Amino acid sequence: MMELKEIKCESCGHVNQPGTQLCQSCGKMINSDYDRKKIKDLMRYDGSAVRSKVRSKSIFDKIWIFFTSIKIGVMIILAIAVAAAIGTIFPQEYFIPLGVDPADYYQENYGTLGYLYYSLGFHNLYSSWWFVLLNGMLALSIIAASIDRGVPLFKSLKNQRAKKHESFYRRQRLFMHEKDNGNADEVISQLKDKRYKARRDGDNYLLEKGKLSRWGPYINHTGLIILLIGSMLRFFPGMYVDEIVYLNEGETKDLPTTDGQYYVKNDGFILDTHGESSGEVFEESLNQGNNIVSNFQTDISVYENESSDVVGAEPELTKIDDYSIRVNHPYRFGSYELYQSSYDDSQMKAMTFSLEDADGNTVGENFTVNLDDPDQSYQIDENTEIKMRAYAPDFQEIDDNGTLVSETPVPRNPAFVFEVNAGGDSELSLLQIMNSTDITQNNDYSIRFVEAEQHTASVLTLKKDHTIPLVAGGFVIFLAGVFIGSYINHRRIWISLEDGFTLAGHTNKNYFGMKKELDTILEANSFSPVSERQEIEDKAKDKES
Amino acid sequence: MKRGTRNILRVSIIVTVAVLIGITLWFNLTSDNKTVAVGDEAVDFQLTTMSGEEIRLSELNDDGKGVILNFWGTWCKPCREEMPDMNDIYTSDNNDEYEIVAVNVAENEQQINQFISGLDADLEFPIALDESRDVTEAYSIGPLPTTIAVNKDGTVVKKQEYQLTHEDILAFIEDATE
Repeated sequence: MMELKEIKCESCGHVNQPGTQLCQSCGKMINSDYDRKKIKDLMRYDGSAVRSKVRSKSIFDKIWIFFTSIKIGVMIILAIAVAAAIGTIFPQEYFIPLGVDPADYYQENYGTLGYLYYSLGFHNLYSSWWFVLLNGMLALSIIAASIDRGVPLFKSLKNQRAKKHESFYRRQRLFMHEKDNGNADEVISQLKDKRYKARRDGDNYLLEKGKLSRWGPYINHTGLIILLIGSMLRFFPGMYVDEIVYLNEGETKDLPTTDGQYYVKNDGFILDTHGESSGEVFEESLNQGNNIVSNFQTDISVYENESSDVVGAEPELTKIDDYSIRVNHPYRFGSYELYQSSYDDSQMKAMTFSLEDADGNTVGENFTVNLDDPDQSYQIDENTEIKMRAYAPDFQEIDDNGTLVSETPVPRNPAFVFEVNAGGDSELSLLQIMNSTDITQNNDYSIRFVEAEQHTASVLTLKKDHTIPLVAGGFVIFLAGVFIGSYINHRRIWISLEDGFTLAGHTNKNYFGMKKELDTILEANSFSPVSERQEIEDKAKDKES
Repeated sequence: MKRGTRNILRVSIIVTVAVLIGITLWFNLTSDNKTVAVGDEAVDFQLTTMSGEEIRLSELNDDGKGVILNFWGTWCKPCREEMPDMNDIYTSDNNDEYEIVAVNVAENEQQINQFISGLDADLEFPIALDESRDVTEAYSIGPLPTTIAVNKDGTVVKKQEYQLTHEDILAFIEDATE
């Protein structure tokens, strides 16, 4: 590649970085290609050269230059946006039913597209490797682009000199020239009253305000980087926890990620609905639908494990707390929060049966079989005992050796072989939910299904998030940057009294407002208003056509 | 900025971002599947067996025994089929250099008794009850049956996530006692 040399300004002698377009010191045009490119706002290249455009050597320079490109930055942002949008087409993995194999779920519910969605990682978008990589690339792009543009900008704004070349004045969008100096001092002092900071070099003045505006994008980029660091830390162990705790009533479980230190027992799940005559303000609307829930609540006992024991060993639990978790009223302990999330009453807990004799009369008491841990026999009256000979929680078939085969360990389709022993005789029968079959011939007794009881499980969410300060702080800084960049105008006015009264104005936004501000002061001091280059050009164009 | 400073800045930023992306991805990938692999140190555990005794992995190792952990369920067909094979081999040699521990995954005793009573011969090796699934989770067991061989030093030396043949069982015993 061609070696670029530093450029010495012909007018003021300042030595500029290679690739500079306008002299950093006096603003004279250095690059003669400049006008041909017809760039609207020539101040865009105010300052030294955009550095990445200058030299390209090592592999690191090449990577750096790749990521400083605005085009690449926009493409990364677009890719993230498109991926995030696709991620909303089908539900994310944490929204699909508990305990379902995601591979099957997406295939069954959404067909081939669902399968693709799953295999490409869209079902877990925010933690898929390529999404993480995209965000990392975004971070690099933001940092590289900010440094590449921010450093020269900082230099050029810091090194500003009040004295500028005459051609610089004429190139500005706001420009006016009068032969008479008139009330120039008054103009300058009134501008100072408008909070312009003045710098003087002989008869040359630079008045400037709102420089902070130029740092807006860099402030909001800093916010974004902090935000990205926060979201990155979520992947680091111990920083972020979001786990589901599924607890049947009466069940005690250790809380995930606490290394078996904390246990929680579900003492009872309560679901309250608004009563029919609650006499409340919204009674009418409440009565339109039925059973509008007013409260989901799980009463819990919290235990600490005293023995930091080996896996599987019986823990030594000491109760440390009681709490009623309600929606928006989580149980807080340490840096954890335990929220009420949902409940599940679809799992079968127990089935109750009764025994009938040949005449259809009920014999003895009803008996209840606990499906999770059934008893072997049930004495229903003094001389009648029912033995459970076999039980399959999820009945599939009868095996060759006569045992019941279960498809899964979950009681979804329970089947039993009961042996009725009454007065010395015994009979066998097979019971399933929908039908029952006599195994022995000419049974006198029949066992009737009475009712089933469901488990009431509370679904809690265990949360811990140490990244909130970073994420929230990042957002606040980001918004502050957007505000600063959008609502503050960086206005600069150059005034030269060397050859009459020459004034030029530049702002990074809102020329209308600046022109108004300038004209008010100029007219009050009997100067003519500034002319706008844009208007002159437009008029010239009108004439041509 | 001097060219040297600039190069240092560029290289350090690129390297930092790359390293952070790498660490994040590594945490991300390892958090999902902490599966036990051959060469890992076996997690020590203690469980109660069907006969009411406490069984502890490190104690078996201290006795100079290799251990074969067989995670199973009564509802799983291949588990039911490999069980008698394991029992035959276990009873036919003197098994003082190894122990087979059949870890039942969260089933009640009725189900296990029902299964055992349907077999031709009694199972001689201990059946450990992992009611809370703590051990199953500590070993990140996916499909059943999964069989893991742990040598005397407490290192995982073999793992298989499908039904064992007669030869497989012999190979597991050989690896565990090596």
